Amino acid sequence: MSHGMTHEETRDTLEGLSLDALSAAERDAALAHVATCRMCRDHLTALRDTAAQLAYGVTPLPMSPAQRDRLRGRLLERAKADRNPTVDFSLRTPLATTADVIPIEAAAEPRHLGRASNWAAMAASLIAVLSIGMLVRTWDERDVLRASLGAVAVSRAADASALEASRVAIADRDRLIANLTGPDVAVMTLAANPGGAPSARMFWDRSVDAWTFVAHHLPAPRPGRTYQLWLVTASTKISAGIFTPGPDGEAVVRAKYALDRNALDAVAVTEEPERGSAQPTTVPFIVGTAATR
Amino acid sequence: MDPSAPTPPYLSPSAEVPPVETAGGAPADASLLQRMSAGDEQALGVLYDRWHAYVHAIVVRILQRPDEADDVVEEVFWQAWRQAGRFDPARGSAQTWLLTIARSRALDRVRAVKRRREEPLDGEGTAPIFEAAAEGDPGLDAEASERRTIVLAALSDLPPEQREALELGYFSGLSQSEIAERTGQPLGTIKTRTRLAMQKLRGRLQMLREVAR
Repeated sequence: MSHGMTHEETRDTLEGLSLDALSAAERDAALAHVATCRMCRDHLTALRDTAAQLAYGVTPLPMSPAQRDRLRGRLLERAKADRNPTVDFSLRTPLATTADVIPIEAAAEPRHLGRASNWAAMAASLIAVLSIGMLVRTWDERDVLRASLGAVAVSRAADASALEASRVAIADRDRLIANLTGPDVAVMTLAANPGGAPSARMFWDRSVDAWTFVAHHLPAPRPGRTYQLWLVTASTKISAGIFTPGPDGEAVVRAKYALDRNALDAVAVTEEPERGSAQPTTVPFIVGTAATR
Repeated sequence: MDPSAPTPPYLSPSAEVPPVETAGGAPADASLLQRMSAGDEQALGVLYDRWHAYVHAIVVRILQRPDEADDVVEEVFWQAWRQAGRFDPARGSAQTWLLTIARSRALDRVRAVKRRREEPLDGEGTAPIFEAAAEGDPGLDAEASERRTIVLAALSDLPPEQREALELGYFSGLSQSEIAERTGQPLGTIKTRTRLAMQKLRGRLQMLREVAR
């Protein structure tokens, strides 16, 4: 089974695969097919979800209060020491510097995002706008992860979960690079309102509906409050999630959302109650328009 | 929503914020994970308070060594803390995500112990894994209780030999070859039992969920 499986052979193994009950050779062959077959991938996802439900078949087993509290204390202590408030995947360093951020007033933003010529102009200036350091760092991270994956695969000593984690991380870095540099990426620059240090950029990869928001020099929200990111259209304000910047004021938010190319008017950040709001309740303190009006 | 995206999709198609609290007003698990990914350790505390009994049960069941469960339970929540940003609600619920981590970490520990001691992965003559739900299931929130009831109902519909194949695969981490060896059945029989069990379970869970709505 070390060689490729046919579609039919793979289909017959997906139930075992969802339980992680295949031999290593069967698993590798099945996964190789799954990686290229959308139908099998979807089926496997559904089966894995079913398998995960089996966990609910056990009777909950509370710990003793002392045991529970001891463990809880240890966890919170570790978490406090580890705290990494950037929203995404261990990006502990700024993705771009403030110097790279073009103030919204100075940016020659196109009047309408939907105009092909304006998008072309934005794409052409993308390299100048993007932080080279950010890309280099992301590429470097991907290369390190690839090397790590190679080592893991060669040694055969690492367990399957480590391998899978490396694959996921590499795919994620690849996606991030594409979302920042793809031919269909629009860049919006956000500046503080009414002016100040915070700044940010939103990268909209319209080919895959991916949004990547990178912010710098954000002050910590007030106690009990959080920041909320909004996509503003003529008819509604769409929440892009809540986030809290790191101690260095940096934050990265990534999201998927399909939006008509001409619909976006602005991107804004407001301060909201810590669970977020259905609609903005405060004046945006950092905002970028998608079109100059 | 891209199901392959490992990071949390914050945007909801309905142009509203994702559910941030349960019907009872407590923060929803997905919301807790979102806060954890932003560095809020208090959210980790809430998640722990809510789910430690379940995680503990799964870990103890798989390890079969309650005295070693603490470390694994801690590692489960620690992984949840570190990887909260990768949780994708499009792929399933936060509870399922957490319990899947619990199973994986417990099996990792068992396999590591097995490699060291060359002992069998699972114990002999253990108590039934899937037991009838206790009345009210104190300690569980309403959603988890309902989910548990549904899963147990679906499992009760399976023939015993199919349930056994699932139990040995899921909780004991045995491969199908090992299950065949353990049960004395041909490998092909075990594969068929597993396949049928999963197919039935999937269908039953889907139906029971719809009935429960």
